[in-house]
Amino acid sequence: MSTPETSTAVPVAAGDGDGAGGPILKVEGIHTYYGAIHAIKGVTLEVRKGEIVTLIGANGAGKSTTLRSINGLNRPREGRITFQGEDITNRPAHEVVAMGISQSPEGRRLFPRMSVLENLEMGAFQRTDRQNFGEDLDRVYDLFPRLAERKTQKAGTLSGGEQQMVAIGRALMARPKLLMLDEPSMGLAPIFVEKIFEIIVEINSQGTPILLVEQNALMALDVAKRGYVMETGQIAITDDADRLSENEQVKKAYLGIA
Amino acid sequence: MPSGRPSLVGLLGLFFLLLIIVWLGVNFVKDPQEFINVFFVGLTRGAVYALIALGYTLVYGILQLINFAHGDVFALSGLIASSVLLSVFGVTTDSGAGLVIVAIAVALIVAMVLASTLNVTIEFVGYRRLRHAPRLAALITAIGMSFIVQNIALAIYDVDYQSIPRLIPNSSVLTIGEVALQWNKLFVLALTIPVLLALTWMVRETRHGKAMRATSQDRDASAMMGIDVNRTISFTFALAGSLAGAAGLLFLLYFTTMRYDTGFELGLIAFTAAVLGGIGNLTGAVLGGILIGLIQEFNEGLAWATPGGDWTRSIVFGILIAILVFRPSGLLGEQTPEGE
Repeated sequence: MSTPETSTAVPVAAGDGDGAGGPILKVEGIHTYYGAIHAIKGVTLEVRKGEIVTLIGANGAGKSTTLRSINGLNRPREGRITFQGEDITNRPAHEVVAMGISQSPEGRRLFPRMSVLENLEMGAFQRTDRQNFGEDLDRVYDLFPRLAERKTQKAGTLSGGEQQMVAIGRALMARPKLLMLDEPSMGLAPIFVEKIFEIIVEINSQGTPILLVEQNALMALDVAKRGYVMETGQIAITDDADRLSENEQVKKAYLGIA
Repeated sequence: MPSGRPSLVGLLGLFFLLLIIVWLGVNFVKDPQEFINVFFVGLTRGAVYALIALGYTLVYGILQLINFAHGDVFALSGLIASSVLLSVFGVTTDSGAGLVIVAIAVALIVAMVLASTLNVTIEFVGYRRLRHAPRLAALITAIGMSFIVQNIALAIYDVDYQSIPRLIPNSSVLTIGEVALQWNKLFVLALTIPVLLALTWMVRETRHGKAMRATSQDRDASAMMGIDVNRTISFTFALAGSLAGAAGLLFLLYFTTMRYDTGFELGLIAFTAAVLGGIGNLTGAVLGGILIGLIQEFNEGLAWATPGGDWTRSIVFGILIAILVFRPSGLLGEQTPEGE
């Protein structure tokens, strides 16, 4: 378990304000390796019902590896991950998705030679309630009207912003109980970044808790309720998002404010 | 050519193509009946190649791995099919049509089940753990698997050819002038074409097929979508294996004889066909198979200015090298690289 000295952990009491509730995801002291590299050294975090939680930090701090530990692509060697009270530490990735965690991966990772519609279909792969498929598709098209226009186009031919829309839409097609977004603003034009963050807030307001990994700390802290700052495989600071934005260390290191 | 100035290689290629067309044309004019007969023989041979090539291409599409054991799985399942026909049903040239049909049906099922089980086992034992290892490691394992399967066939069937009586008659179905289409050729073609159509439909439209395509394009992203990647890859090997099994029986019925190492050369030829068509592309595999079959039969069957059978291997593998050097994506392969 890692609680470095820099920590100013002030856990928000469960159930206070805007529908935030008990933890839906709990990550407890996980250690994850990339081959021989000890990438995650005792990370503990949680996501509660209805909230946006952001995980910020520099490149290579271990943010994406943390997500890969949760979604089953890179199993932790130590520690425990529970989702809705169930232990998912050693579950294979496809089962984690079936339980309700879906993800928009870093770099979007669309299926480039499949159409936009087929990509969205793949998002719903684990769903057994096929009759709601149309309804969810409409919801995604409501959020991203552009995708409805491009549904027959090959995903690899879309612009970066449009690809990000497909990646988020695809993750939503799983009707997730927890949505994980990995660097959704990376490489996008500023106007698209604004748009993507608006969408993130909108998805959350419809009731889906979100774990948001971002390098754009300013924007991420703006939409999040709580935040974790990662440094070299550990959680360095955790606090309410608005207090993190005021934190001197965070300001210096991640917000570019002296 | 967008540049306007065709390259030397392009010109040479064009020249060769012209030469081949002239050669085919002259042969056609000299003896049209023989030409068409040879064409049908080539088409049939090509259909057998196509079935095997499909297995290479399916596996390559999903793992970017040449499963060199594929040809040997084909041969072993053909040999097992011969045992089913000869030892279990005891078919002879005098057997009634009913017995022959039942025997072929059972042999087909046995060959397909056996070959797909074997292929899935090969992936599970040999390739699964090497998925993140350098490509060369998996390739060497594939060659090792090829030798193992071949030597299992050798241990069971020894070096002698296993021959079966001609069960599908080579009498004519229809004759136009002096051109005839025989039952045994029709049988092979009538089996290959529906298999290709069914396979294409399956990959394009079904849930399993979409999982296969997604896995071939991005394995990690597929897992994040809830696709069981291991199961999808096993399924692909099972599918490829069942095609090899079907091809094994078809080869046996058409050529009536095979032995433990039949799959080695045939595997290489089918691999060439898959590369020619564009590896990873199903339609390409069939097109490549049929082209190679035609090239081989034209070379061995036509009368005028023909290199002849001694040159078949040099020509076929010359094509392999030419394609790899000048057009690695093959005739129908994707021009875009993997990934973005």
